[in-house]
Amino acid sequence: MAKKTKQQAGRDFVGSISLSEIERLLAFMQKHGLEEFEYQQGDVHIRLKKAAGGTAVTPAAASAPAVFPPPASAEDQPVAAVAPSHTVPVPVAEDLHIVKSPIVGTFYAAASPDADPFVTVGSRVQSGQVLCIIEAMKLMNEIEADASGEIARIFVENGHPVEYGEPLFGIRTGSKR
Amino acid sequence: MFKKILIANRGEIALRILAACKELGIQTVAVYSEADRHSLHVRFADEAVCIGPARSSESYLNIPQVISAAEIANVDAIHPGYGFLSENANFAEVCQASHIAFIGPTPEVIRMMGEKDRARAEVAKAGLPIIPGSDGVVPDEDAAEKTAQEIGYPVMIKAAEGGGGRGMRIVRSKRELLPAFRTARAEAEAAFGSPNVYMEKLIERPRHIEFQVLGDQHGRVIHLGERECSLQRRHQKVLEESPSVVIDQSTRERIGGLVTKALERIGYTGAGTVEFLREESGDLYFIEMNARIQVEHPVTEMVTGVDLVKSQIRIAAGEKICDVVGKFDFRGHAIECRINAEDPDTFVPSPGRITTFRVPGGPGIRVDTAAYADAVIPPYYDSLIAKLIAYGRDRAEAIIRMQVALDGFVVEGVKTTIPLHKRILAHPDFVAGKLDTHFLERVGLAEAKHA
Repeated sequence: MAKKTKQQAGRDFVGSISLSEIERLLAFMQKHGLEEFEYQQGDVHIRLKKAAGGTAVTPAAASAPAVFPPPASAEDQPVAAVAPSHTVPVPVAEDLHIVKSPIVGTFYAAASPDADPFVTVGSRVQSGQVLCIIEAMKLMNEIEADASGEIARIFVENGHPVEYGEPLFGIRTGSKR
Repeated sequence: MFKKILIANRGEIALRILAACKELGIQTVAVYSEADRHSLHVRFADEAVCIGPARSSESYLNIPQVISAAEIANVDAIHPGYGFLSENANFAEVCQASHIAFIGPTPEVIRMMGEKDRARAEVAKAGLPIIPGSDGVVPDEDAAEKTAQEIGYPVMIKAAEGGGGRGMRIVRSKRELLPAFRTARAEAEAAFGSPNVYMEKLIERPRHIEFQVLGDQHGRVIHLGERECSLQRRHQKVLEESPSVVIDQSTRERIGGLVTKALERIGYTGAGTVEFLREESGDLYFIEMNARIQVEHPVTEMVTGVDLVKSQIRIAAGEKICDVVGKFDFRGHAIECRINAEDPDTFVPSPGRITTFRVPGGPGIRVDTAAYADAVIPPYYDSLIAKLIAYGRDRAEAIIRMQVALDGFVVEGVKTTIPLHKRILAHPDFVAGKLDTHFLERVGLAEAKHA
């Protein structure tokens, strides 16, 4: 369930992207036969994914307060990707080990507001290493890596709410199966 | 009024609460386990948060997960439904501490009603009749004789530290008493490590009669009449109706009055049900109180026209009973059949994918369900898949409407108890209103209870 568009200065916006910009992106995808397109800059994050019958557009999650639209059903046509931080992860080119949230709470990338994040994309991590904190009911829970390797993806933004099973990090383990 | 409510439940009651919230213009937040990802209550809610894996203990019963979800979704109130955390006083306290309204009674009242002995003592103080019995453990043979004499035969001797029929004896005369007392104590010692037993009047062929109440936060409690829930199997209700054929208006007013006075004295708020056993002689005895909305609430809604779930929400938001309920009367008759995903003969649960789900309709028919064609009934939770309610101007019309509706209720892919209900509705004893809590065994529709 996507958030509603806002009228801003007479133009239609979805989050902070204008509709005409999205149309240009869609045309770009069509022209180059792309199935999927992801764009991130600052607090703007857009993901366009083509499904049977057309593309679904998701608005930028930005710094909006916690919104958990109901999960997309596998049977839905077209596949509607909901607010980016709350989807089942988009299948990526390589097999990453996904660290998922074991609890409901608020994700923090660092131990305190002025500290450095525990990890960034590219960080090498060991199994058992603290990756982030999830705050639940005023308790800070340290979330540990359950695999070793390199952080390839970070799926959530600092200060955002997460639910049980939500993908947090993608670790490139580098082991061949 | 609340702006956003989190529904801490699943299945048909979650949908019911969701509907009430929508009617009141309140935003809804569903919580769900991984097994319920495609549930209707999740899909119809404004927001949904996954709180754990399939097991109830790790999801719907997981207080930190539920409260966390309530916090990140920024809700004003939580509706706990029935079962799960609805009568968990600790959960109600955590809600209070987290500044989230708990739609139900206060933690103290929940706790009181949860401790059966305390509940009995409190309502007895307030004037409700309780089952005559020993005051706690019967210490020795002299006390046993004296207590049995006071109560009056037949009496039941029960183990204080356990149940399941062990340490239990029925005594019909003074002659049988001491041998039964000794054997019961020996059995209790062997089964539970303690020979302690207590004694209670045996109510034979009892009817289960319960009164629906609503109490506001301004000290007022009202009752909305009774339901008869005598048709049970292993202490699970199978079919309920309102009114009861054996409760006349004067009894309703008398018992209802005692109930409301007792609960006003206790300070009861929210929806609740006071349960009684009724002897063949007509005497009613309090057994326990359920401090929550109940599965069978629709039959009361049909005969009174009062929306109990909306009432719960409005009461929790501080409204007065007179504004929430206003005037109503008792009109007509309603019956509810609990349709479970079980084999109708063996009662073995039948989870799986529903392939056909055709629901009956027409005048006087209400179906409360979260099931749908292609839905998967998971094996982790109770087997209730639908409540079929039939309402008529009188009991005869409710019965015929229920029979026609059952014939038109088609469920394929899983087994259901629809055939069982058809047999019940066709049975002459049911039609004649000859009910008691052993009905299903008596007429051979449920296997006999073990010893």
